[in-house]
Amino acid sequence: MKYGFFPGCNMPAIRPDVEKAIRLSMPRLGVELEEMEGYVCCPAYGTFHSSDEEATLAVSGWNLSIAEQKGLDVLVECGSCYSSLRMGKSLLEDHERKSRVDELLKKAEKKYEGKATVRHMIEVLYRDVGVEKIKQEVKRPLEGVSAVIQYPCHTVYPSDIVGFDPRGGKPYMLGELVEALGAKVEHFSCEYQCCGGAGGFHRNSAIEAAAFAKRKLDAIKAETGAKLIVVSCITCLMFLDSVQKELNSGGGSYSIPVFDYNQILSLCMGFPAEQVAAIATTPRDEIVKLF
Amino acid sequence: MINLAELKQDLYKEVTEHNDIRYCFNCSTCISGCPASEANPPLLIRNLVRKVLLGQEDALLDDDSPWACVTCSKCEEMCPMGVKPFELCLAIRRWQCRNDETRIPQSLPELFERGYTQPVEKAQALRASVGLGELSLVVHDPELLKRFQAMLKETKIVKENSYMFKE
Repeated sequence: MKYGFFPGCNMPAIRPDVEKAIRLSMPRLGVELEEMEGYVCCPAYGTFHSSDEEATLAVSGWNLSIAEQKGLDVLVECGSCYSSLRMGKSLLEDHERKSRVDELLKKAEKKYEGKATVRHMIEVLYRDVGVEKIKQEVKRPLEGVSAVIQYPCHTVYPSDIVGFDPRGGKPYMLGELVEALGAKVEHFSCEYQCCGGAGGFHRNSAIEAAAFAKRKLDAIKAETGAKLIVVSCITCLMFLDSVQKELNSGGGSYSIPVFDYNQILSLCMGFPAEQVAAIATTPRDEIVKLF
Repeated sequence: MINLAELKQDLYKEVTEHNDIRYCFNCSTCISGCPASEANPPLLIRNLVRKVLLGQEDALLDDDSPWACVTCSKCEEMCPMGVKPFELCLAIRRWQCRNDETRIPQSLPELFERGYTQPVEKAQALRASVGLGELSLVVHDPELLKRFQAMLKETKIVKENSYMFKE
């Protein structure tokens, strides 16, 4: 199994410990990660998608062509990158749009044929690697620890463009991946509510976006005994981590550690926390000391 | 009150580039599942559809609410009429940018200059602290960066606002 690894920009710039966790844990599961040399911003929804469609698709084409040239599919952890690239590919199926983008890509001496598929980390772990393989590689299970899941909205909606669950309905794959580590996954009332951290919501309305996340955190506290939140999206990770501090500065009391799946997987595989889970706002010591 | 004489017929054709929003019957499903409907000012997609269809050009140009969208696309999933509310939200942002250059996101020039919205090329110390080396970035390859910029210079947004984009 080999993929072109698309790190995006938040992960390599702000949370490189997640990148390190991916680069250590995936080869252990038999997944080879190939560099996508010269990749650029996905483009993020707040950039070209919000200002110019042909520029959006030229940038999507630029990125997709890198994996295509290598004959590989693209592997993405960031929900926004995943959704933007899937959306770009979907729009490029339109002949008129594609011919315009072909002209633009010619200026960059690149060519796009639409051969590379964009895959999210959750789906690759669940489908291509499989729960059994993950269980075999767990050296230090999370036995007896309760966890809740943040399912990234960008991997769920709109299902015809980003979805990877043939059963449709509520997502479950990330939950089963966490159970493979020995943890107990608990369910709660706001489980499928998005984190609220993406796009312009928090930037434009910080108080309201924090209140939106508070509803979820309150439900986790009231309805579960969860010791950690597991995500598989850099935005969910950064926002659910930092918003707790924001709420605490307003008199709240929130301290639920947040981990990207590959981080907790790496810890279960025996990799050092100093490399794979080094950066957080909400302290993660209670979980890290279990390893 | 809406002054019918000031409305711009066919505004929807200018705003929505590809899909037809005239199927919207104002059911509000798009709002009921929308996180940004709790924003201040709230993003009420249904109201945006009405503004576009009625042709309220000035009100639409001044409306900040499309920029509060979290991009979760739940509205796109739930809309019973295939109006694609999320894509409409992006289309309104694009229309605003076309008609008011101050709407153009500040991240665009950054993306043009270095390829990314975050300063990935400046994170080397942090990356090294977790045992990571440098990525093969477009900004490290002057010839490749030139090709990236040459491509973008052919797009309308960069052509028409070239003063914003520095090589």
